[in-house]
Amino acid sequence: MERNELLHYCIDKLKRAGAEKVECSVSFSEKKELNIDSGEMTLLRTTFNTSLGISVIKDQKKGSTSINKTDKGSIDQAVEQVIELAKASQPDEAFDIAEKQPTKSFSKGDETADLDSMYNRMEEFLGYVNSTYPTVNLEQAVLDFTYSRSYFQNSNGVNFDINKGMYGFYPGFLSKDGKDTSSMNGTFFSALNLDKPLHKYCSIDTLLKQSTEQIRTQQVQNKFVGDVVVTPDCVSDFLGFITTDISDGKMITGNSLFKDKLNEQITHPGLTLHSHPVSEEICDGYFVTDDGYIAENNTIIDKGVLKTHLLSLYGSRKLGKSRAVNDGDAYLVDPGSMSRDSIISGIDKGVLLARFSGGSPANNGDFSGVAKNSYYIEDGEIKYPISETMVSGNIREMFENMGEVSKDRVDFGYCIFPWISFKGLTVS
Amino acid sequence: MKHESLNQFKDSFTHYTELRAQENRNNRVTLTNGDVTGNVNAVTSGISARVYKDGNWGFSSNPEISDESITRAVKASTDNVQFMNKKDTSRCGIFLPETQANYEMDFTTPQNRQTQKHWVDYLRDIDGYIEKKYPELLSRNIVLGGLDMEKSLFTSDGSESYSMTPRALLYILLSIEKDGAPVSVMDVWGGLGQLEDKFSEPTEFYKEVDVLVEKLKKKANGVHPEAGTKDVILDADLAGILAHEAIGHTTEADFVMGGSVAGDYLNQQVASPLVTLIDYANTFDGNTCPVPVYVDDEGTQSDDVVIIENGILKSYMHNKDSARHFEMKPTGNARAYEFSDEPLIRMRNTAFVPGTSSLEEMIASIDDGYYLKRSSNGQADSTSEFMFGIGMGYEIKNGKIGQAIKDTTISGVAFDVLKTVDMVSSDMVWSAGGMCGKKQWIPVGMGGPAIKCKVNIGGR
Repeated sequence: MERNELLHYCIDKLKRAGAEKVECSVSFSEKKELNIDSGEMTLLRTTFNTSLGISVIKDQKKGSTSINKTDKGSIDQAVEQVIELAKASQPDEAFDIAEKQPTKSFSKGDETADLDSMYNRMEEFLGYVNSTYPTVNLEQAVLDFTYSRSYFQNSNGVNFDINKGMYGFYPGFLSKDGKDTSSMNGTFFSALNLDKPLHKYCSIDTLLKQSTEQIRTQQVQNKFVGDVVVTPDCVSDFLGFITTDISDGKMITGNSLFKDKLNEQITHPGLTLHSHPVSEEICDGYFVTDDGYIAENNTIIDKGVLKTHLLSLYGSRKLGKSRAVNDGDAYLVDPGSMSRDSIISGIDKGVLLARFSGGSPANNGDFSGVAKNSYYIEDGEIKYPISETMVSGNIREMFENMGEVSKDRVDFGYCIFPWISFKGLTVS
Repeated sequence: MKHESLNQFKDSFTHYTELRAQENRNNRVTLTNGDVTGNVNAVTSGISARVYKDGNWGFSSNPEISDESITRAVKASTDNVQFMNKKDTSRCGIFLPETQANYEMDFTTPQNRQTQKHWVDYLRDIDGYIEKKYPELLSRNIVLGGLDMEKSLFTSDGSESYSMTPRALLYILLSIEKDGAPVSVMDVWGGLGQLEDKFSEPTEFYKEVDVLVEKLKKKANGVHPEAGTKDVILDADLAGILAHEAIGHTTEADFVMGGSVAGDYLNQQVASPLVTLIDYANTFDGNTCPVPVYVDDEGTQSDDVVIIENGILKSYMHNKDSARHFEMKPTGNARAYEFSDEPLIRMRNTAFVPGTSSLEEMIASIDDGYYLKRSSNGQADSTSEFMFGIGMGYEIKNGKIGQAIKDTTISGVAFDVLKTVDMVSSDMVWSAGGMCGKKQWIPVGMGGPAIKCKVNIGGR
């Protein structure tokens, strides 16, 4: 079956089986992946995958299934099963599918991996790390290229096809000197091509250098309340607390701190946060939302004011609020006016927080966690790397007491973040 | 989807080769405040081949399972290893240790399978009970999920195995508003087996719900713990996470090769003599563990690994390649999550061995400390420094349980914390729903007795 025909077949069969509303998507992908393990590049993987997703609404009851086959027998079985799932459910007036939009094709990136180039970049990276940072142990590094062709259709006539080819690189490492070992650290970037050495992307070189400094650490001597400068690698953890709070799960259950705060000041006016899935600035964005709408860029927080919740079609109908024009992610924080170094030089006592091991905060916003790969700051200077140090506070209060946003930002390919300082956090 | 004919492809193997057919079946129902917000079934299956030659690996996978696709996967993985060998000949002549194991283990339920409607109604019954009895709650989330992992394996060493390992879990997450902000608690039940094995009547959970709501109300009126280094009792759930996250990962041989701190401690005293820590392959005290592994995904028989014995670090967990590197025996720890994943060194069922104390004695021995019952999350790194979120715990004052505490975090360096262990309870409790992330997700078992030790606890 041709790919477009395949989705037509699914929708037609589901409609004939009694479904009132149907959405189907199918994706075919090929991934090439080179792996470094324990400092040696020893594994090349080629994986093919297929994903067929089907959701139906029947009598306002919804069922969903996904399989990784596209032969007629498997599709027929999946259709039968998803109808049974829907029948087994309970009606909910909030279930719906996207309305008709113009048929459109989207495309980004190459169709095939340049495997020799990938190998050469990895070999170059290994050589660079070994010669520049001899105490660094590359515990694992993964460079991949994934090309996918995806098709989305629904029974309202939505019909999109999307081609995307993207490189991704994750290095994970620590430093070791004798019996002293640093904490592990790592980062990730996405890119359309590999036109420069891997260590020159995002924060990789900075983190490698810092890792060598973190072999021997000190504990912060006394508990204090001070400023915390959060690095671009770590800032997503804290922004994630807000974006999770304004999304379906917490909004629908009423557990969101910001459920009634639309168009109100929820952070310091220095913060402007966008989600730009279709911006030129974000190379690894997305074209279509999970609900089947053409994704648009939006501003989530404008000078501290909450401009939108991140509600899906279901969430918006359930709560009687507006649907977000995208699924979030592809985040971008507007730069401030000060350099990273100037922000640090203005701090009397605090921490440069480069990795936060802390998980989700409590529903009331209280959080605490360990400052990993981080530094103690005193009198405007980075003094020493720290360990066994906790940072705690409350997310809502933390963003209200935000200090400065740096003009320097790091581009990870899937997001762009600055350094942000926060006042009044407890360090112990 | 048992595949008994994988061995017919052995003539196409030109080097050391593993051939695996796998199907993962997921089923999940979610109720949010009584509405069915998730009603999903997902199946992924396919074939993978992994080839080793001269210190390099080639891997390939395909979602089709047919003679043609299997031949293609073997050829593609062989091509991949040849690509690597052309680029780098420095490990030429390295061979893996040979292992051979043949085993079949099928945990498919003997009971008739229930329909999706049965499970939706099952959850609605529990939800109805909660809604009626506790109208003051802010939110109710109930999730029922099943995962079946079915694998057939053939290797060029001659190993052949088949396993069907299911897991069924029920999560209940409740919240209440206190002083204008939500407070929540969560618990999970289930374990090895399919839904029919673990969940028969919804009424069986009414009492569990009552207990959970009581905990929620105590927590809502709870106090912030006092920050600092404190005597604590880590109940089985937290002891299990400590065993898995903070010690277990540092002793996975690939992490040791990557520089983990455990690499320097072999045969040294790293914990109190009361501490013995084992990664059980499949059986504890005559009973099947939550994630039983009999033959791993490299075709090696899975054996228990005694990581710490009476406080001394005794061994690491291995796959074939790390066993070659350390000149040890493979331990059967190589596991893959999806058909498209390569086997990695993974824990199976990691737990401290029970001691001789009773929980009551342990509580009575603390003047000012905490009894920590339930984790909300946990992370650790190569130094064994860890952080665990605490979702439920109590003060201990003058040898007695006091007020509940609000959400907090504990942290420490595990190899230091284990040196402070001075009591270990005599019971053993396995946690229901462990999942471990290390390039791939995979189900793991963890648990143990309660242990008494000193850790840093976060306050406000």
